[in-house]
Amino acid sequence: MMFHTVNNFINRFFGALFRKKRHIKLGLYGPPNAGKTTLANHICMDWLGEEMGKVSHIPHETREIHVKEQINIKSGGKELSFNLVDTPGIATKIDYEDFVRAGLSAKEAKKRAKEATKGVIDAIKWLDDMDAVIVVLDSTKDPYSQVNLTIIGNLEARKIPVLIVANKVDLKRASIKKIQAAFPQYHLIGISAKEGTNMEKFYESLFKVAK
Amino acid sequence: MPHQCVRCNTFYDDKAGEVMQGCKCGGKLFFYIKKEKLEKIKAMTASLTASEKQQIEKDVLDIMGEEEYSEEPVVLDLETVRVMEPGKYELDLVQLFKNEPLIYKVDEGKYLIDLIRSFGQRKE
Repeated sequence: MMFHTVNNFINRFFGALFRKKRHIKLGLYGPPNAGKTTLANHICMDWLGEEMGKVSHIPHETREIHVKEQINIKSGGKELSFNLVDTPGIATKIDYEDFVRAGLSAKEAKKRAKEATKGVIDAIKWLDDMDAVIVVLDSTKDPYSQVNLTIIGNLEARKIPVLIVANKVDLKRASIKKIQAAFPQYHLIGISAKEGTNMEKFYESLFKVAK
Repeated sequence: MPHQCVRCNTFYDDKAGEVMQGCKCGGKLFFYIKKEKLEKIKAMTASLTASEKQQIEKDVLDIMGEEEYSEEPVVLDLETVRVMEPGKYELDLVQLFKNEPLIYKVDEGKYLIDLIRSFGQRKE
């Protein structure tokens, strides 16, 4: 009897330990200025009440990997726990003169270009650690870019679940249809991370992808 | 395959002693260049000033995450990350996504792929 009671206790204790939710790593990937950090901030504000990182109209504002741990979201009676990983924008060409045109000094611009280059390398190195990825695309831009195709193609090759977010739908030039036509086999959701448009549906989609 | 000293931009053949022991200028960081790209690279780097070359060397070390110069010569895959001039970079995403190491170390006359530095550094 005593043995039975102890055995029950052990089972309950370890059962509870292993029932604890595993924190999946959810990565935000995409080209520069697509709105990855704006979306990360929106998610963090909704569920943690604090922002994740600084945003700017000058590309490559995020040049280091940022991780926000233990975000618990609830939607439709379900709960999802994850660590959110915001990554630097992926680009094929980084030119400090673009930053000078945006108002930075040549010195600042060159530093930004160097850090952005390191950021691209780091973002790609982290890809294998991701359990699921949200690819954030600017819905006002042509989706058939080398960056978009390379990111999405590589995620598919690595069998990492993908949710494509067509961001900036609040802008006139936005076209979700174009993005859906470019990547028809993927879950896709149109949002405005800045305005908070369609965020409820975004969270619902996240449950489907990050199971 | 040819190599180019990042510090003084001198080109060397694959088997040149300088690549194994360090350039005559004292530089120990080299770009690895494919033969077919050699002429293009020569033309590209011909107009760089001494201070620009110095800046590129510093930037490349920063990107590699090296605080100080390594004792042994280091060869970088220029095909993957190309520094056109300070502040101007071209990245070959296809190669980068292949997860091939960016840095090749030269040790006792042999190329050793530095897997720890290229893959393990930023994992949690």
